[in-house]
Amino acid sequence: MLVYPASFLNMDFVLLGITGKDFVIVAASKAIMRGPTIIKAEDDKTRALNNHTLMAFSGEAGDTVQFAEYIQANIQLYTMRNDTELSTPAVGNFIRGELARSLRSRSPYTVNLLLGGVDPATEKPHLYWIDYLASLAPVPYAAHGYAQYYCLSLLDKHHNPNIDLEEGMKLLGMCTDELKRRLPIDYKGVLVKVITKDGVREVDFDNDKVVRSA
Amino acid sequence: MDKLVAQYSRPQHQNESYSEQEQQDLTESLPPLSLKFSLPPVDNRASFLRAMTDDHSNPSCPIKLAHGTTTLAFRFQGGIIVCTDSRATAGNWIASQTVKKVIPVSRLSRGEDKPSNDPTPGLLGTMAGGAADCQYWLRYLSQQCTLHEIRHKRRITVAAASKILANLTYAYKGYGLSMGTMLCGVTPQEGPALYYIDSDGTRLPGNLFCVGSGQTFAYGVLDSNYRYDLSVEEALALGRRAILAAMHRDAYSGGFINLYHVKEEGWVHHGFDDMNPIFWKTKLEQGEFSNVTSEL
Amino acid sequence: MSGYDRALSVFSPDGHVFQVEYAMEAVKRGTCAVGVKGKDIVVLGCEKRSALKLQDTRITPSKIALVDDHVCLAFAGLNADARILIDKARLEAQSHRLTVEDPVTIEYITKYIASVQQRYTQSGGVRPFGISTLVVGFDKNDGTPRLYQTEPSGIYSAWKANAIGRSSKTVREFLERNHQEDMDREQTIQLTIKSLLEVVQTGAKNIEVAIMAPGQRVEMLPDDQIEAYVKSIETEKQEEAAKKKTARGSTTTAAILTRPGGGESTD
Repeated sequence: MLVYPASFLNMDFVLLGITGKDFVIVAASKAIMRGPTIIKAEDDKTRALNNHTLMAFSGEAGDTVQFAEYIQANIQLYTMRNDTELSTPAVGNFIRGELARSLRSRSPYTVNLLLGGVDPATEKPHLYWIDYLASLAPVPYAAHGYAQYYCLSLLDKHHNPNIDLEEGMKLLGMCTDELKRRLPIDYKGVLVKVITKDGVREVDFDNDKVVRSA
Repeated sequence: MDKLVAQYSRPQHQNESYSEQEQQDLTESLPPLSLKFSLPPVDNRASFLRAMTDDHSNPSCPIKLAHGTTTLAFRFQGGIIVCTDSRATAGNWIASQTVKKVIPVSRLSRGEDKPSNDPTPGLLGTMAGGAADCQYWLRYLSQQCTLHEIRHKRRITVAAASKILANLTYAYKGYGLSMGTMLCGVTPQEGPALYYIDSDGTRLPGNLFCVGSGQTFAYGVLDSNYRYDLSVEEALALGRRAILAAMHRDAYSGGFINLYHVKEEGWVHHGFDDMNPIFWKTKLEQGEFSNVTSEL
Repeated sequence: MSGYDRALSVFSPDGHVFQVEYAMEAVKRGTCAVGVKGKDIVVLGCEKRSALKLQDTRITPSKIALVDDHVCLAFAGLNADARILIDKARLEAQSHRLTVEDPVTIEYITKYIASVQQRYTQSGGVRPFGISTLVVGFDKNDGTPRLYQTEPSGIYSAWKANAIGRSSKTVREFLERNHQEDMDREQTIQLTIKSLLEVVQTGAKNIEVAIMAPGQRVEMLPDDQIEAYVKSIETEKQEEAAKKKTARGSTTTAAILTRPGGGESTD
């Protein structure tokens, strides 16, 4: 039987993804925690897989970066070998396959992922929710960890697929406000990246806002 | 049983030419990165190892590993400061008070600490967790760094060296390794670089790390007084003071303060000093540690 | 038949490994490839095999391949062998990024390619790669152009400018006469194309050119630009010839270059 570390499904990380008309927002918490200590407060839990696809990851220490960089290298190798940029759905299915293979190996990767991308030709956004059991689900918005319990209901109420980037960022603000209000730990703010047809870029996000409990 | 059957049912002619593996072995010019160890013949090696060696979960374990440490390293304007205590404990027993927890990682700088203040080129690694694991794998890393230096005619970057170590600890994840180490160095390509690597397979670049049982105490002092534009003198004093704080409060840290400064030309040793006079000096001259009384 | 050219890993009594020498023969029959270093640029030029009427030239694989974002490779010799070698190089380039974070240096990947080629000269049951390669590019955070050559034997060497493949000797001699230190972009491209025109008679449509600059992705020179270069080189040549004619009377100067025959099966 596989035994997963008790620390795995905890509050150590926040991953959020929101799609809109022609963009995907991916936000990941900046803290890395070991026991009682935050050993890093400015971490980037994302990797760009190609020009228009970004992956955010969380999970078991070591597994996360190893898996992300393994995927990144393989996507780049594929692109180089075949002179073709893979679409976001193709990348998503490739990742799912790798996780499924890993799940049945001696030492599976314990990693949860969000995969966001925008098709440069159609400008359609794609967002996939992927977990360590190799589930792959296309979704309009997504979260991992305890953030799910607060943010999904909020997004269920306020999200619609035709929002523009400004409205998307506002939604993200609502999510992080709620997390600040209710999550018992400090995840040191989120790093926010936006994917549009022009590629992946980091955007400024106000993490210093003080949120008062109702 | 399967294996046995396979061995005898192999067709006769199979051994006539070179197998793929044999060809690979014959022609491989580089040795594989990770070494192979013999493992205990039990089902769950990690839990076996824990039962034998982990005095936290099993106080009467037969083998007590040397543990318990405070180490710190931080980047600042003038390079990197590395500071450690020198105590090794095995359970409640202080196994040594004179451990050198800063390990030079390079062909050129391996060997004894020099009393002179000439900088010695190369990287520095720190040791927290299992003493044997750290010493062994940092020595292995040293070997890889030297090979890199010979093959590529230039010194290895700290990024590359730290990744070799992290890939190694990741490959042995779950086998019971215990180490938390910081690699420091200044290279022309990167400038001053500091990485944290542990036995979970984590590898993080950063400005400031404290590792070991006394890490929280060291963080307390370091975080509150750290600035990037510290002068060299201030930085050395801060490193020493942060370790002193941990040695004072953490039962598993103590002994001597081992202080290093890494700069462009290499690292410089700034003493291996008994904590006690330093403690009393700090208390009596600076008026700190006011919870300790000096009167009888 | 001496028999020493059969098994690969057997020396002939006078110290030759014939299969390796035959591989070098395959290189000589491959179409020409040229590499030239400028001041802060490096250019690869290739002779394209003339396409058949119904061949789709847009999607026929090129002789210039990208090994990583910052490393470019051109080859001469057996096309199919090259594909395998390039794939191994690409895999190593990504693997190197994965294991030590930094991208490969040009020297490192050249050494790797050469060591793969060498490996195939010293073990049983294999045949050497029938290709030579030119590897060019820039190391990370470094503005020095790099140009290396590898051979079927596993030798590798660094160059300021070099040619491999059919008539490489002619081209190399041309480069030796005309190469200058610190050429700018225009001069480097011009020299590359000019040297190729020494042996490529069909002109622009049978030449391809790749340009690498520090920190940038490879740039394949568009056909119309190559054509422009070829034209200007040709008019320049004609003017020179005319000048010579008026200066020295009517002696024929432009010798017609002859190509060595055969080699149509290689590329």
